Amino acid sequence: MAKSKNPSYANINARAVLYAVLIIVAAYYLLPLILMIVTSFRSMDEIRMGQLIEWPKTFSFDAWSMAWSEVQIGAREERGLRPYFINSILMVIPSVAISTILGALNGYVLSFWKFRGSELFFAALLIGCFLPFQAILLPQSQLLGWLGLSGSLVGLILTHVVYGVSFTTLFFRNYYVNLPHELVKAAKLDGAGFWVIFFRIILPLSAPILVVTVIWQFTQIWNDFLFGVVFSDPSSQPVTVGLNNMVNSSTGEKQYNVDMAGAIIAALPTIVVYVVAGKYFVRGLTAGSVKG
Amino acid sequence: MAELKIDNVYKSFGEEHILKGISLDVTDGEFIILVGPSGCGKSTLLNCIAGLEDVTTGDILLGDTNVTYEAPKDRDIAMVFQSYALYPNMNVRKNIAFGLEIRKMPKAEIAEEVARVAKLLQIEPLLDRKPSQLSGGQRQRVAMGRALARRPKIYLFDEPLSNLDAKLRVEMRTEMKKLHQRLGTTIVYVTHDQIEAMTLADRIAVMKGGIVQQFGTPQEVYDDPANMFVAGFMGSPSMNFLRCEVTKQEKDYAVQIESQGTIFQLPVDPKQADLSSYVGKTVVLGIRPEQITHVMPHLVAEQYITQVPVKIEVTEPTGADTLILARINDQECECRVHPQEAGKVGESMELLFNMSKAVFFDEQTEARL
Ligand SMILES: Nc1ncnc2c1ncn2[C@@H]1O[C@H](COP(=O)(O)OP(=O)(O)OP(=O)(O)O)[C@@H](O)[C@H]1O
Ligand SMILES: [Mg+2]
Repeated sequence: MAKSKNPSYANINARAVLYAVLIIVAAYYLLPLILMIVTSFRSMDEIRMGQLIEWPKTFSFDAWSMAWSEVQIGAREERGLRPYFINSILMVIPSVAISTILGALNGYVLSFWKFRGSELFFAALLIGCFLPFQAILLPQSQLLGWLGLSGSLVGLILTHVVYGVSFTTLFFRNYYVNLPHELVKAAKLDGAGFWVIFFRIILPLSAPILVVTVIWQFTQIWNDFLFGVVFSDPSSQPVTVGLNNMVNSSTGEKQYNVDMAGAIIAALPTIVVYVVAGKYFVRGLTAGSVKG
Repeated sequence: MAELKIDNVYKSFGEEHILKGISLDVTDGEFIILVGPSGCGKSTLLNCIAGLEDVTTGDILLGDTNVTYEAPKDRDIAMVFQSYALYPNMNVRKNIAFGLEIRKMPKAEIAEEVARVAKLLQIEPLLDRKPSQLSGGQRQRVAMGRALARRPKIYLFDEPLSNLDAKLRVEMRTEMKKLHQRLGTTIVYVTHDQIEAMTLADRIAVMKGGIVQQFGTPQEVYDDPANMFVAGFMGSPSMNFLRCEVTKQEKDYAVQIESQGTIFQLPVDPKQADLSSYVGKTVVLGIRPEQITHVMPHLVAEQYITQVPVKIEVTEPTGADTLILARINDQECECRVHPQEAGKVGESMELLFNMSKAVFFDEQTEARL
């Protein structure tokens, strides 16, 4: 108190420094995105004439429609990123839904319906979280071959579900062990069985962890490139692979504006998910640590 | 409604042995109170009865059926949990109705039942609130309501009134008793409250370390404790334990006490204990504070009453009585006197020791003599 005569000024200074740092950091992360957006609205002529980094003189959506539905990618008949984007959606929705549901059920069983060896089962499942993608490529392609699912969307979905269940189970299990066990005991005495307890008692309490899991799985699966490139054929490739093929098509001159637009298109769904549900994501991540 | 037979039940969590051979025969419609120090396995026993924990060995019979391996929902038992265990996502009304819905009771009857229970427990204004919007005592009443809405074979209550304020607790205690008289359902009830135990119970089971120390009517447990633990556990303020030597009198025996340098012989009622083999040895005299009172002239001449002057070390007025801490045989001894008769700290005071209800314990085994 004695040292700083006017504490409010000290506060303002501290705030100013804090905000300055935050703005710099935010700018550092935002600049590439801004550059991408700006470039995507410039025409190729303009880019060729001037600098790579420059404010657009004319504003056009040409690059976007090129990337979306006109650019020739590989030797495909259909043009643009659109078919890849649709593949991604067809892949991500069932993958996220199935892996999340399985994770919730696993977590529920591992927390409230323990059986002999359930701890071991959980430990074994956790190993899945530490397996690098690369480690399962060969056995998984072998397996998909046996199942007759090589190169199909279903095979890709299966791969994502299996790989994701370790994580989703971990999330739900760690959330559920913090719920009071008496809830399930009371419900059992009230006459409720396995499914009734799950749907009427446990699931309604799972909103925070559901959001976390869905966001996590959505970003993981949407952004995945490795599984997408290994386990698909041209008809089932996801947008990440499509983008890669588009950018790396070596015919003609590099179309920076189209590449940028394509990259934004490929990233758009995850950005939207974060903006819409990010608040719940942070809340859900910390939910387990606070009692009540 | 059913009788409950717990037959030599053991329960271990891994290497931790919690229940070590519990056997209780509860007759149909009895109100049983379980008491015992924290961690002695009361809640665990209730969980075993309800089927929420598997017993390690032993049997649990409900009526004529052995339910040891039946699922909780098939046992038809309602329980109030120590931690309430209200469903956080449902409002009070739904919480109470849940069990009835699951058991497919018609909607109109459910509404009727919820209203009846809400009235009984004075929670009508709370019916549309979520559990998180309730105080501890209100939650406890909702938890009670959830159990009372059903008509199970047996009710299990795990400290159902512990969070209520004193007035409501007394009211609810009376309600519990009325409820039991009306329904006649068998009840097993855990409490830490001495008065609750004495007033509600048909029989009390005193537990310690996973073993039933004594199972008897409140009066039996109070007057005729099986061992020193039961004697000390039941009753508040608790029984005085004084180590003293047994002496032989003309035809009976006595225990010898010393107060303020003078020796007194307190005669032992032969109905209470046979101390013939303990002459010259030390036993533990158990005497309740209310057996040591101020001098009442009409009692002085009674056979088992002895007048002893003691030095007052502490006085504790409770309103109805004043508790006096005296020093006997160099051990502390609590006595219960009329507030107006109580002397001041440091003074000497004449007290009457009534030995007609005194009990005696072996110094080593703490068993009753
Ligand atoms: N699931 C469990 N795993 C291991 N130990 C347990 C488990 N549940 C209870 N215990 C132990 O069993 C003992 C008895 O617990 P219990 O809850 O039955 O005590 P209690 O008599 O109800 O005590 P309180 O009066 O404090 O409620 C305690 O020592 C407790 O730590
Ligand atoms: Mg308990």
